[in-house]
Amino acid sequence: MRGRNRLWVLFVVFAMLAAACGGGGGDGAEETADTEPAAEETTPDTGGDISEDTTADTTDADEGGAPGDIATDVGVDLEAGVIRIGLLSDLSGPFSPLVQQIVTAHEVYWEDVNRNGGINGLQVELVIEDNAYDVPTHLQKYEEIRDEVAVIGHSTGSPHTVAALPAYQEDDILAVPLTWYSGWVDPQYNSNLMHHGAPYCIEIQNAISYISDDIGGASTIAIASVPGDFGLDGAAGAQIAAEALGLEVVYDGAGKVNPTDEASLTEVANGIAASGADIVVLVATPGAFASIYGQAVAQGFEAKWTGTSPSWSPAFVAPDSQIREAVARDVYITVPFDAWDGESEGAQRFTALMQELRPDNPPFDAYNEGYVEARIVHEALLRAYENGDMTRAGILAAAKSLDNVEFDGLAFPERYTGEPNDMVQRHSFVYRPDLESATGAVVVERDYMAPIVEDFVFEGACYELES
Amino acid sequence: MLGRPLLRTSYEADMALFPSVTQRVVFALFLLFLVAIPFFAPGTIGESGSLPGPTFLGTSDWLRLLVTLGIYAIGALGLNILTGLAGQVSLGHAFFMAVGAYTAAVFGSPQGPLWGLGLPIWIWLPMAGIVPAILGTLIAPAAVRVRGLYLAVVTLGLVFIGEYLWRNLDFITGGSQSGRTFPALEFRFWQEEEAVLSMTEPATWFGVLNMSPTAKTYLFVLVLTAVMALVAKNLQRTRTGRAFMAIRDRDVAAEVMGVDEFRTKTLAFAISSFYAGIAGALLATFIGRTIPEQWNLNMSVEFIAIILIGGIGTVTGTLLGSAFVIILPRLVADLTQLGERLVREGGTWATILDPLVSTGSGDWGLVNTSAGVAPGLSVDQLNLVIYGVLIIGFLIFEPLGLYGIWLRIRNYWKGWPFTY
Amino acid sequence: MIEAVVFAQAGTSPAGRLLVDFLSLGSIYALLAMGFVIIFKATQVLNFAHGALAALGAFLVASFATVLQVPGRWMPGAPLWLRWTLSVLAALALATIIGMVLERIVIRPMLGEELFAVAIVTLGLDIIIRTITNDFIGTQARPLGDPFGTNVWAIEGFTLIPWTIIAQVATTIVLVALVALFFRSRLGIAMRATAFDQEAARAQGIDVGRVFSISWGIGAFLAGVAGIFLSLFPRRAAGVDQSTAFFAFAAFPAIILGGLDSVVGAVVGGFAVGLAQALATEFLTGISFLGVGFAGVVPYLLMLAVLLIRPYGLFGSEEIRRV
Repeated sequence: MRGRNRLWVLFVVFAMLAAACGGGGGDGAEETADTEPAAEETTPDTGGDISEDTTADTTDADEGGAPGDIATDVGVDLEAGVIRIGLLSDLSGPFSPLVQQIVTAHEVYWEDVNRNGGINGLQVELVIEDNAYDVPTHLQKYEEIRDEVAVIGHSTGSPHTVAALPAYQEDDILAVPLTWYSGWVDPQYNSNLMHHGAPYCIEIQNAISYISDDIGGASTIAIASVPGDFGLDGAAGAQIAAEALGLEVVYDGAGKVNPTDEASLTEVANGIAASGADIVVLVATPGAFASIYGQAVAQGFEAKWTGTSPSWSPAFVAPDSQIREAVARDVYITVPFDAWDGESEGAQRFTALMQELRPDNPPFDAYNEGYVEARIVHEALLRAYENGDMTRAGILAAAKSLDNVEFDGLAFPERYTGEPNDMVQRHSFVYRPDLESATGAVVVERDYMAPIVEDFVFEGACYELES
Repeated sequence: MLGRPLLRTSYEADMALFPSVTQRVVFALFLLFLVAIPFFAPGTIGESGSLPGPTFLGTSDWLRLLVTLGIYAIGALGLNILTGLAGQVSLGHAFFMAVGAYTAAVFGSPQGPLWGLGLPIWIWLPMAGIVPAILGTLIAPAAVRVRGLYLAVVTLGLVFIGEYLWRNLDFITGGSQSGRTFPALEFRFWQEEEAVLSMTEPATWFGVLNMSPTAKTYLFVLVLTAVMALVAKNLQRTRTGRAFMAIRDRDVAAEVMGVDEFRTKTLAFAISSFYAGIAGALLATFIGRTIPEQWNLNMSVEFIAIILIGGIGTVTGTLLGSAFVIILPRLVADLTQLGERLVREGGTWATILDPLVSTGSGDWGLVNTSAGVAPGLSVDQLNLVIYGVLIIGFLIFEPLGLYGIWLRIRNYWKGWPFTY
Repeated sequence: MIEAVVFAQAGTSPAGRLLVDFLSLGSIYALLAMGFVIIFKATQVLNFAHGALAALGAFLVASFATVLQVPGRWMPGAPLWLRWTLSVLAALALATIIGMVLERIVIRPMLGEELFAVAIVTLGLDIIIRTITNDFIGTQARPLGDPFGTNVWAIEGFTLIPWTIIAQVATTIVLVALVALFFRSRLGIAMRATAFDQEAARAQGIDVGRVFSISWGIGAFLAGVAGIFLSLFPRRAAGVDQSTAFFAFAAFPAIILGGLDSVVGAVVGGFAVGLAQALATEFLTGISFLGVGFAGVVPYLLMLAVLLIRPYGLFGSEEIRRV
């Protein structure tokens, strides 16, 4: 018996060795989302084509036609007609519910661009890596795609993006951060990053302002959040809004929520329930949000609740959810982009595209975030092509010269020139949970900017990440 | 003297690290190969030259993997002294690594919003070992009182208490989910502007060798790992090492023979924590920025897995285990990508691999590279499952680990072609 | 039952809240600890995969009750509570079988090996079960589909949650039944005999393999029950998710506190840890120098304190060693 077991182990080891040899050969072959490799080089833009260039100011220079004039370095191969875009995505960590949909949206967006002729004939390939929401993994994965990609289509997570920023700067590579931290507009991070959407700090001000208008007579607020930029940036915004609106902060649990520590959830829930606040701001992961919400409601506590957009999950109002009716009654959500079934032209067009190319995928609002990110990269690449410089530095410079990127109403226009106070996004969509809606929530206010937000002078990140 | 392999004529020969000439030569060649790795990449020697060899090993992503390997090996050597030699099961290795990392940050990082003294590497790196060692000595009395599985759970508690501490000592750690930066690997005599040797800037050595920052870091970690491994190996051959093993095998009998149990166990904790601290400091400085959540139970388990898979109680096994645990996930990921490409291309391979690889939302398969879009496990999940299976498989079928397999292969060839 | 009555008096006053916290946490810890101890007593295995088994149990309930609708799909007219109860029983039965199968495949070959080695095997098992379960759970939380909703009964000015009362009663019944099984039944005697000396038990004609198998079945069952209680309103209102498996680590202090091999100790330890955590949550949160999340480490600190005084827990059997 023992001898046979040993043979097995030997067999496994030899299999591993064989795998090792095979692995060397497979090195460098990254996954690509390019499922339509047949390039129709000169297909003119059709009406429904999202790649239609509506915003980049055409300089009418003659560089357009011949790709030979264009400077390139990494990730753009003019001979093969390929541009590679890297995605550093959280596909298995805590924010994977959101990020997986966003990645799908990227794939759909570029598939559509590719079948309509690509970027002036260049086909876009995605190189997708899972950072597992872990800083070392993020850095390692960037290293693996470092010599392959022209642009980072999204970089998930704030500590991760900050940790990778020196490498981004070294490579002069453009990266779209997939987090809404208010620091991205700040000069210390702004060099390579393309912020978009109202940051947590401003989003929460919009939410509080909207709720207090909606219910009238609110005088107290409870604030709680997870630690880190995601929670504390939102909590800082809540403090600013409370002061501006004259709300009394009756419970401050900023940074006290730890999603993996049951006791901290109970502690915060008790604190919120005991405070008797009219408005609750809870910036946390969806699981922690549901747990704290449930435990507070179970004590007979009733108030209006909000959090930043990543705190929300459609699972709250799924048909079998225990808290669906209570959530529908209590919760408000502010989001940087339109809904899956939103009214805007951009949202309707992209949803139609999603249904065409991914007919089996369930509806989610978060696809639209993927659209926003891909759109920003698209505009930057078009501008770089016009400038005749598709080196990484050229793409970065082109992106940082964009002064109006529009999303056809799917999200609010972004600019990347001027002072931080001019660049920061102040508009939000306001959603309410809806038991009938396919995505669990509907837009109740399409373009909301609270008066306090309009007056808010942005001088730098609401919450400073320590170095 | 080329003699019979097991014939020893003196105690020195019996104690020798490499008893035969062949072993010495093979080992020297292997060391040379390790030193040569960064120069396999094109353009590392002169204008565009390189050493002949597996090119991919010299690329920056593989070098990074190898640096991680070296750092993990140092940590695993520490755990091997505590668990493999002295027989004290510890799940608290991540805690001591965190202590080392934050000690390095306090001593080495420049003063900013967070604590930092801005001292050079020759102070902060040793301190990153010494402080955890002192802490290990202080904790040891409590740990010595409990035995066996109780100790495993106590050290498990250490990880959770550590996580609480790191969250709250935000003036040192930067706070939960935010983290802090760590001192760069730079040699300075004191706090002068220009570093003598910097692992963060590219440089040209001897006029011909083009050194990338990762390549320099690799060589530095390689030297450090070699030294630490040698120390660990020698420790095993001293009176102290033998005392560790005596305690492991039967503590009562060891005490009868005059081994002071308390003193020996405390020493094991201290040495192991020293190694852990150095590894933690190197890991944190290599990554550059870490969040407190990183020093969690998974990390401790990873080190347990390394020494078990490699072969518990042996230095060679620990090194083998580190290589296996760090490199295997990369191979699995590459293989999955290869499989997926073959399936997309069609043909015979597609038929064979199709049940294994899932390529899109409608295609069922064991593994895929686009998680969340296609059904099946993601590559990371598959790696976790393989890692779990390996831990179980080695414990059930090959308790001596890779080292045991290596021994058997060696013994087979020793007598070849005769069975005995 | 007495628990339920006391519970009905509880309100949203601090004392009432404390009681709710104490009982709901305590019962989950006690169930988890009981599972650990039963497995440890019979097989000498410290089961690190317990949390993964808890998440697996809760996930099976979620699948049976909502997605698969087993056995509800064959009985369309039945009321929701009956369908749900049957789904829970079916899921727990499956969890029990999975526990027994795991024992047969992974633990049995390790018979006679070092305790430490077997414990590490369960660490590997934990990684495998957790990863695969999480892949099935997916990225959104899975609601368990129970019929209780967020109803809060208000009786004479006090609020109480129907579900937590049922949980209390169920816990009490399960724990009493197990203690009775352990000390009164033939099987219990066989288990204790196996725990005492495997070879001697075998010599007495006890089927040690069967004892192993049953104890893992019971362990998986208890983990599943704890997983369900953990995944319901109000504790995890959205249902079972990928972080559920981590909760069981907080039950380790409970088993160590009571002593690894004491059934009574597990119950006492579970409720003691629940009480300590509830008290810390209620009274220590305002103390600023303790920082954030102190209540979360109170069980570990309590465990350390007890072990320093009694290295084998409060009820654990002491190893005799002489020099």
